[in-house]
Amino acid sequence: MVASIVPQLVPAFYSLMYTTVLYGGLIVAFIGLIGIAMEKRDIQVLILTDIVGLAMLIIVAAVGTDLSEALILPGLVVELAEIMAISEILISHEMRKKDVHTSFTPIPLNIDMEIMTTAPNFIALLLIGYGVFLSGFTGGAVAGGGIVIYVLSRKVRGLPVVVLDGVGAISGISWCLWIIGFLFFFILPQYWLLSLFLAALGLLLKVASKIGLIGIMMREEYGRK
Amino acid sequence: MPNIAKLWNKLADPKNIPRLFALILGLLLIAGFLIPIGLNTDQIYTRPAPQSQMDAGLTIAPYDRGGEILESPGITEAQYPENSQNLGWINSYMTPIADMLKGISPYFGTSICASPGGLIDEILYYTRGFDTILESSILMMAFIIASWLAINFTMDRKEEKGEGDIEEDVKRAIASSDRIANEVEMSNRKARKKQAKKEFR
Amino acid sequence: MLIENLGGNLMGTIPLGDIVLYLNSLHIFLFVTILVFTALIAISRTETQVEAMFGSLDENKVSVGKKEFKQRRFLAIICGIATAGAMITGDLFNFTLFMALIGIVNIGIVSAVKHVDVLNSAYQYGLIAMMCGLPLFGGAAMILAATGTLSLFELAAIPASPMMIFGALVMLIGVCGESGIAPFFASKAEMFRTPGSPFILIIHLSSLFIIVRFVEILLIIL
Repeated sequence: MVASIVPQLVPAFYSLMYTTVLYGGLIVAFIGLIGIAMEKRDIQVLILTDIVGLAMLIIVAAVGTDLSEALILPGLVVELAEIMAISEILISHEMRKKDVHTSFTPIPLNIDMEIMTTAPNFIALLLIGYGVFLSGFTGGAVAGGGIVIYVLSRKVRGLPVVVLDGVGAISGISWCLWIIGFLFFFILPQYWLLSLFLAALGLLLKVASKIGLIGIMMREEYGRK
Repeated sequence: MPNIAKLWNKLADPKNIPRLFALILGLLLIAGFLIPIGLNTDQIYTRPAPQSQMDAGLTIAPYDRGGEILESPGITEAQYPENSQNLGWINSYMTPIADMLKGISPYFGTSICASPGGLIDEILYYTRGFDTILESSILMMAFIIASWLAINFTMDRKEEKGEGDIEEDVKRAIASSDRIANEVEMSNRKARKKQAKKEFR
Repeated sequence: MLIENLGGNLMGTIPLGDIVLYLNSLHIFLFVTILVFTALIAISRTETQVEAMFGSLDENKVSVGKKEFKQRRFLAIICGIATAGAMITGDLFNFTLFMALIGIVNIGIVSAVKHVDVLNSAYQYGLIAMMCGLPLFGGAAMILAATGTLSLFELAAIPASPMMIFGALVMLIGVCGESGIAPFFASKAEMFRTPGSPFILIIHLSSLFIIVRFVEILLIIL
């Protein structure tokens, strides 16, 4: 019974598919890379690098084990992180080239919906509660969405430095929780359940607070009049 | 050899480097079609064939790896089982909420809600936990860079302009006007030379 | 090739689950050196560049502001620690993640400058770093598919097959791009043209150490 749940060798289906999937990944990568080689505008190149990242995910996923499923997450996050930092550099560069008075968005974005004034607290609480229930990475994203809605709906302008620093501090502390949890796994193996929850809660808080930070930054940018 | 000189000059321009890199990498990847490719079936962390657990009717279908919650460990084929003393316990663990949901929905296995516990969490937090820590550090660094840039440059450029030293601004203005005057002078001289040549003919 | 033949006797391992960090004489040397350099950089102050003004006898001092200084010092220390970690890691995928961390921190160190040219080259280098995700992670995944393991101890014992060589070659291109050697030097070299010398220097140092370590890994795989 036990042996039938997890096979000793990779099932024939995956090994038959491997060549096809790998060739598919190589072709996607080739298309993306040749596109980059021929493109002249900077912003287009940045968008095309996403295709290359996609090809990387295909090649990793082709192995078809639980390990490769777990390896996809670091690959995805690395691509995401780099595209965020680099696009911010591009914005900063373009703004510096142009006038000081250039705006981030050409037209100030007006989020003028009724729901923003009537029920922001309720929606935010609902989303945060649901995010905590989901827990882990997705839960963090959903709870962060709640924070974004709450922050965007507040009409008062001006950068709340205390709030920004506070949310950043939560993110940093939860990262430390995770590290402590990871160390406990190996130093105190008998407390593995505690370490598991430290790691999971750290992830939840970290993702939620980071998405909240994006929300605060977006409000400052879009609300600029 | 003017062509090689031109090539070197092109290589010195940062704008051309990503394009060159993309071209070389693309050409190398095409070489992948020429070599024999096959999956080694002796892998670690193998998983059952697609849909087989669905057909068997297991409650947490694609991710059932055996074991009972807090009673017996699941099956995890780690690279070094001797390094992870509690191998398989996270694999079989589920939170009480997850345990309840398992009975309600036959599709619980495909969702990742109420998450601590399960095979992927064991790999991500325990056996390959160091990878995940690095990954989250990369995300944190990206956030630090992006938010620092956003707060200090893209948001508050006006303040920075106000801070500037007037004396320095004047100096810069003089320098740039001098440069422009110089350029005008140079182009004047060139034009005069051309004129002189024409007249000489 | 066996690990003992390359870096001297195995002095010990730090087992963290499947990822086993290991130490031999070469690794200890590289690890300690980069940590000493990082410590030196952490306590040092930045240089001040002096530019001659055009059309007068005055000079223009370009120094690093305090906020900028703190940010750069933090990122430079992280860069040093990441390089030190990459020196002793015993897992292929872990090594590529360390490389990705070094790449993004390198961009971060120069992203705080005000020169448009430097920002432009940082952006171009960032594009390369993003593309390098494919050869680094993809190459590691190909080696995983061909051998069934990512641990360098296991890979050392497995004879090289054409697919492993291809995976290693793809990884090599990735390391070349990320550390900015031979034909891809321009974007990274342009990034140095900015004040703040000791922090800029760690960019250079980290790519040097990474290349040395990757050559060792290549020899272990093949």
